[in-house]
Amino acid sequence: MASPHTPIITCRNISKIYLMGEVEVTALRDVSLDIFEGELVVILGPSGSGKSTLLNIVGGMDTPTKGELFYRDKPLHLADQNELTYYRRNAVGFVFQFYNLMPNLTAYENISLSVQIAESPLSVEETLEKVGLSQRADHFPSQLSGGEQQRIALARAVAKNPDLLLCDEPTGALDLQTGIQVLKLLRDFCESYGKTVLIITHNSEIAKMADRIFYLRDGRLSRIETNENPVPPERVTW
Amino acid sequence: MLRRKVLRDMKENKGAYAACMVVIIIGLTIFTSFSVVIDNLTLAQKNFYRDQNFANGFAEVRLMPYREVEKLKQIPGIKDIQGRMVEDVRVLTPDGESDVYLRLVSVDPLKENPINGVHLTEGVPLKNGAMEIWVDSKFFAANNLKLNHEIEIIAEGRKRSLRVVGAGQSPEFIYAMRDSSDIYPDPEKFGIAYIPLQSMQAIFSHQNTVNSIIFTLQPGAAYSSVEQELEPKLKKFGLENLYPRKDQTSDLLLTGELKGIQAMSTSIPVLFLSVAGAILYIMLRRMVEQQRGQIGILKALGYTNKEILLHYMTYPLACGLVGGIVGGLGGTALSFPLASLYGLFFNMPGLQGSFSPWYFLECILLSLVFSAFAGYQGCKRSLSLHPAEAMRPPAPPSTNKTLLEKAVLFWNILTVQGRMAVRNIFRNPGRTFFVFFGVAFAFSLGGMTWTFKDISEQMLYDQYEKIEKYSAKVFLSAPKDARQASSELGRFPGVKRAEPMAEIPLTLKNQWREKNVVLLGIPKDSILYNIMDKDYKSVPPPEDGILISERLADLLGARPGTTLSLESPLMQDPEQEKTVRVSGVIPQHLGLNAYMELEAAQALIDNGRFATIVMLKMDEENIPALQEAYNSSGAVSGIVNRTEMLNKTREMMGSLISSVFIFALFAILIGFAVIYNSSIITLSERSRELASMMVLGMTPAEVLSVITFEQWFIGGFAMVAGIPLTKLLLVAMAESINSDLYTMPTTMSLMAVCTAFIITVTSIWIAQRLAGKKIRNLSLVEVLKSRE
Repeated sequence: MASPHTPIITCRNISKIYLMGEVEVTALRDVSLDIFEGELVVILGPSGSGKSTLLNIVGGMDTPTKGELFYRDKPLHLADQNELTYYRRNAVGFVFQFYNLMPNLTAYENISLSVQIAESPLSVEETLEKVGLSQRADHFPSQLSGGEQQRIALARAVAKNPDLLLCDEPTGALDLQTGIQVLKLLRDFCESYGKTVLIITHNSEIAKMADRIFYLRDGRLSRIETNENPVPPERVTW
Repeated sequence: MLRRKVLRDMKENKGAYAACMVVIIIGLTIFTSFSVVIDNLTLAQKNFYRDQNFANGFAEVRLMPYREVEKLKQIPGIKDIQGRMVEDVRVLTPDGESDVYLRLVSVDPLKENPINGVHLTEGVPLKNGAMEIWVDSKFFAANNLKLNHEIEIIAEGRKRSLRVVGAGQSPEFIYAMRDSSDIYPDPEKFGIAYIPLQSMQAIFSHQNTVNSIIFTLQPGAAYSSVEQELEPKLKKFGLENLYPRKDQTSDLLLTGELKGIQAMSTSIPVLFLSVAGAILYIMLRRMVEQQRGQIGILKALGYTNKEILLHYMTYPLACGLVGGIVGGLGGTALSFPLASLYGLFFNMPGLQGSFSPWYFLECILLSLVFSAFAGYQGCKRSLSLHPAEAMRPPAPPSTNKTLLEKAVLFWNILTVQGRMAVRNIFRNPGRTFFVFFGVAFAFSLGGMTWTFKDISEQMLYDQYEKIEKYSAKVFLSAPKDARQASSELGRFPGVKRAEPMAEIPLTLKNQWREKNVVLLGIPKDSILYNIMDKDYKSVPPPEDGILISERLADLLGARPGTTLSLESPLMQDPEQEKTVRVSGVIPQHLGLNAYMELEAAQALIDNGRFATIVMLKMDEENIPALQEAYNSSGAVSGIVNRTEMLNKTREMMGSLISSVFIFALFAILIGFAVIYNSSIITLSERSRELASMMVLGMTPAEVLSVITFEQWFIGGFAMVAGIPLTKLLLVAMAESINSDLYTMPTTMSLMAVCTAFIITVTSIWIAQRLAGKKIRNLSLVEVLKSRE
């Protein structure tokens, strides 16, 4: 596939096999793909298709059993745990379905937690304002709604100013309205900061806002679709 | 099914359960081994006393005709009474060592069931009139003696040869020490020899006289009423000392030791079990919280509260059972070497470890009760949950600001990890207390360890380096003119200074309280005996009044200014009662004495200007010559070389250090168990948080710092609290072991604080490293996938 962009992530024949007792479970089989700088990509597939596994491998939380993986020209499949830690620290931001905020840190402090370890972070205030929660800065997660918690989680990921934002079902636990708010923020991060966003979901409606869609089925990449006219997040519905 | 769950759960947290079991095992090993040894010592002592007809009372007189002793049998309450001769003599060894002594104790070979009978371990009966002896079995073994071996002694200036025909043990010399300046038995240098009375009288040319009287009481008779009758009758024969069995040195030490280990065998295991109980409580509580959903499901399935409680109680009971069995067996195994160790110090038959089914059972029961109580407290919450409620996630934790957040200055200097840690400390008060208590306890154990070493050194070195500063001390066999004795010894080659000193037996009384002590009369310008106050400042011996030790002051209820009445067998008229004012109170760790200026003491006793000891400052190399010259003379009963005494002391300190290490190891284990468990609980409770931090890109070390900050924060305060806790434990321990022979100081040195600090910090550090390993192995994917 011809593209004017430079790949930020390159996967070549990635396979992941888990040993569950004496049974081998193949989660990914020979997946090859490129993710380019500044694009918003959605990996779409039903549950068990291997999308979370792929996200974890791309995010440096897991390693492939076979194949090669590059972040720019850095071979991640050869990286040790220490190198993966620094990769996550400086290059990647994560957003999870269940937020994973620190329950005993306030919204502001949760964001500071990631700011203090990043190389060139954004300011905490700026990101809080961006997600529209400046007034909730002193609240603890238990005092925030689900949508607000996810926006703080997003702010925490963005505040590190990573090149790559990885989102695992970011709207999975949210209602439509709140979900759209989060998607708008993701699109905005992609466009205004020129960063790469990778969303995994089983919700095909969300895929409509992506620049490209990777279809995963049974651990294989079954199709790659380029979306010439991505739908604005406001018009996404489910 | 549930049993399988227990096994799997325990396997998953094997480290935490193992640490808890180790704490239980240590506590119970100490409990069982010491309990067995106490029982064994007590039983051995009781049997030995009964079988050998151990005396109920002892009297020392200057000289008393043998036939007078028989008359004393008439005194109501006395069952049997015996007169005997007791004299110390020097042994001439083949290698020329000059300071080996034997205490010759006369026995009547014909008497049946004699008082203080000798239990013969090998050899043949003594023949009256023959120059034969039995020696105590420790001396026999330490000097590699054989039966029919001839021992040469110097008695009254003459060389005598005694044939060893047996070796044995006597209840009177279970703990055989030569005099009050000895600290522990040294069987190579000092032993007891039992000799027929006739032979003894022949050696000492005291026909038909005795200088020691021992008696037994009729069942139900009171010692005090016999004493009242006996004392006036003995005074005319120069009564020097009359005391009951409980004041006899060997009995006093054995009883004191029993009291000490009794206190240790109950207090230490209770402390260890409390720590284990706290660990179990915290673990169970956490498990019940974590398995809330599972409890809900079990309840929904129809399991009764009792079944669920029983399931959760299986964890602590399993720990308790394993801990109890292993602790009981370990303690039994340890009781054998421990009994042998006591056998080295205490010379009596029947000392051995044993398997005691009763203690084994008690040990298991104790462990089960502690574990069950702690476990029940930890898991009783599982009962109160309704199934539907249990299946819902718990209510979010309180979000109230903690106290420290209001201290803005402090709060602002904390990193985000620091703030997380501080909030956790306040939101988990139970766990915070557990870590606090555990660390403070570990610190105290470490502190006590070093303090014991310090104290022993202080007790011994203070005595032989700061107080007694002579090179040699010459004991005169009878009181002599002070000036004459010191000037004669002062002329000996190499002697730079000679100072006389008087040891005067006294009975001090304050109203109904009374105590037999030795008054030390010390020259006013003495530089060889330096009395010190608690600030180590020299105190001159008082010319007006008497100085007494702190313990003596306590026993007599006396303070500076109190007037005491006194009696002494050395007084011209022993019946006469005099009074003396307490001029001051000073600390004394070894022995129980009173002090006066020599001339003032002589004036008080009014029996001439006598001395019983001459202290010498002299060249070291001349001491052997001095011993050679005077040991054979009848006028000198012994010569002590201070350097030798110090060296022996140092040697003994060496072996003490090894026992100190065992305590240090216990401290490390406790600290480790507490911190490791608290880390494991934190990890399981907050794995999601910690994994999230790692996903954010924090290194395992940075993530670990959240937990460690919390522990150091609590640990810091706990260590500070450990200082007064150590002091408290020391005071309690001192109260249980203090006796007339030693008074334990309870000061904790800076070095002890530092050692405790290092020990505690090391154990915390090791536990944290292991917890760090768990963080590195945390599966980010697994943890974050699940719902909260």
